[in-house]
Amino acid sequence: MNLTYLALELRRTIRAPRFLIFTVGFPVIFYLLFSSISGGDPDARTIIMVGMGAFGGMTATVSAGTRIAAERASGWQRQLRLTPLSGQGYLFAKGMCGMLIALGPLLLVSIIGMSTGVHLEPGQWVQVILGTWIALAPFAVLGVLIGQVATGDSVQAIGSAVFMLLSLGGGLWFPPSQMPGWMRDVAHVLPSYWYGGIGRDVVTHDLQATRTLLVLVAWTVVLALIVTRRFRADSARV
Amino acid sequence: MMDSSTKNGAAVGVSGLHKRYGDVRAVDGVDLVIAPGEVVALLGPNGAGKSTTVDMVLGLTKPDAGEVTVFGRTPRDAVSAGVIGAMLQTGTLLDDVTVAETVSLVAALHRKPLSVSDALERAGIADLAGRRAARLSGGQKQRVRFALALVSNPDLLVLDEPTVAMDVETRREFWRSMREFTDAGRTVLFATHYLEEAEDFADRVVLMRSGRVAADGSVAQVRATVSGRRLTAVVPGAVVDDLRRLPGVREVDVRGERVELGCENSDAALRALLHTYPNVHDIEITALGLEDAFLALTATEESRS
Repeated sequence: MNLTYLALELRRTIRAPRFLIFTVGFPVIFYLLFSSISGGDPDARTIIMVGMGAFGGMTATVSAGTRIAAERASGWQRQLRLTPLSGQGYLFAKGMCGMLIALGPLLLVSIIGMSTGVHLEPGQWVQVILGTWIALAPFAVLGVLIGQVATGDSVQAIGSAVFMLLSLGGGLWFPPSQMPGWMRDVAHVLPSYWYGGIGRDVVTHDLQATRTLLVLVAWTVVLALIVTRRFRADSARV
Repeated sequence: MMDSSTKNGAAVGVSGLHKRYGDVRAVDGVDLVIAPGEVVALLGPNGAGKSTTVDMVLGLTKPDAGEVTVFGRTPRDAVSAGVIGAMLQTGTLLDDVTVAETVSLVAALHRKPLSVSDALERAGIADLAGRRAARLSGGQKQRVRFALALVSNPDLLVLDEPTVAMDVETRREFWRSMREFTDAGRTVLFATHYLEEAEDFADRVVLMRSGRVAADGSVAQVRATVSGRRLTAVVPGAVVDDLRRLPGVREVDVRGERVELGCENSDAALRALLHTYPNVHDIEITALGLEDAFLALTATEESRS
C-alpha cells in the first residue's frame, strides 16, 4: 500500500481535465435527458438516477485504468519494475485511484437527482452511493487489465466497447425488466448486472445480497490474479 | 566458468546466459563476473545483445537459459532490496508529472532512499524540480533518469546508453557526478556507443558481438588484441599502391598529401617510408585505440557472416 503512488495518480488524473469532463459530464447529461423523457414517474426517475450514477462510476474506474496502456508504451512500466513495488501494490494504487475518481460522477449524479425530485431514505442513499461505490472494485481491476493488454492505439476502442456492453447488459441504461429474456440470461453473468442491482434495489426491492457479493468478489479476485501476474511479466521492451 | 565462491562475492554473476527472440539469438552464451567496485563498460554494435543482457541483469527479461545473480540474489530480490539502480534507455518518464514528483515517487517506493533533493543535486537537476517531463530536453530527461537510478541509493548502477541525448558539456558533468558516486566503492555496469567514455571511465571493457563476449579485460588489454600502431604523415607525391607495398603496412588511407598507415611494424614502415619519400614530414606514430580494437573485432564478425 503505497500512498505516495496513489496520491500521484490522483494528481495526474485531476490534471487531465478532458478525462474528468468526459467521465463526470456524460452521466449527468444522460440522467437529465433520460429523466425528462420518462415524464413524472418518480420510480422511473430514481431508476435512471441510480443507473446513471452506476454508469458514471463504472466508466470512470474503467477509463482510469486504460490510461496504463500509454504508460506501458512509454516505458514507465519498466521503470516501476525497477522499484520494490509489487503487483498488488501497483493494482492497489491504480485501482483505488479509479475508484476515488468514480466518486465524482457517482456523487454528482446523486446530488442532481436529489435536487430534481428523487426522494430516498438516508439508508437508501447510503446503499445507492456507498454500496455502489464499494461494488466498483471489479471494474477498477478490469480497467487496469485492459490497460495492460491493449496498446495505446486500441485502448480507447476496447475500453469504450467494454463499458458500453457492461452498461447495456448490466441494466444501467434501462432496467433489466425491460430486457428481452435471452438478454437477461446473458446479463446474469456480467458483474455490472449485480453491481447495478445494488442501486436498483431501492425501487425494485429484489436485491440478492449474498449472490451479489459472491459474484462481484469472484470477478475481483480472478481479475486481480491476472493483473498481478501480468505486472510481473510485463516488463519487456514494448 | 566461475566457481560458486567467486560468484557469491560478486556484484554481478552471469553464467551461460541465453535469450532468443524468434530466430534471433540475442544473447548466445554470456558468462560474466563483475567484482564489487568495478566499473565495467559494455560495448558492441547495435544488435550485439547489450540491452538484452542488461535487461536480464535487471530482471526485466527472463533468460531462456543460464543464471544471473546480483550480490548473490536473484535480480528481482536485488531490485526489491533496493540494491540495483538502473537508468534505462528510453521513455520511463510520465509527461504530466514534474521532475520532483517522479523522483519522490521512486524514492517513496524504496526502503532506504537518498533524499529527493540530494538525488536531484547529484544529477545536476535541482533547478528543474518543478518542471513537467513534457517540457524537458532529451539531455535533461536523461539526467532525470539518472536521478531515478541514484535515489534508491544502490550498490550497483546499471546504465543503458546513459549519455545518448546529452551535449558535450552535459556529458562531462554527467561523468563527473558518476565518478563521485563510484568513488564511494560502488559497482557500475554501463552500455555505451561512445568508445571514449569506455576508455576514460571504465576499469574494464566487455565487448559483445552477436550475443557473445568477444573481448573482456582492461582497456589496455582489449586494445592490445589489435596489435600495431598508426603512422600519419604528410607525404608529397604519395602513390597509394606504393605505400601499400611498404613493409609492415596493413592499411593505407590517403587524403590529399596526408597519409595514414595502419602498421603491424611501424619501425620497418617508417624506415621504408623515409627511404622512398625523403621529403615526408609531420610524422606522428600513435598506438591504436579502443576504437580500432572495436572495429577490428566487429569487422571480423561481419566478414565471417
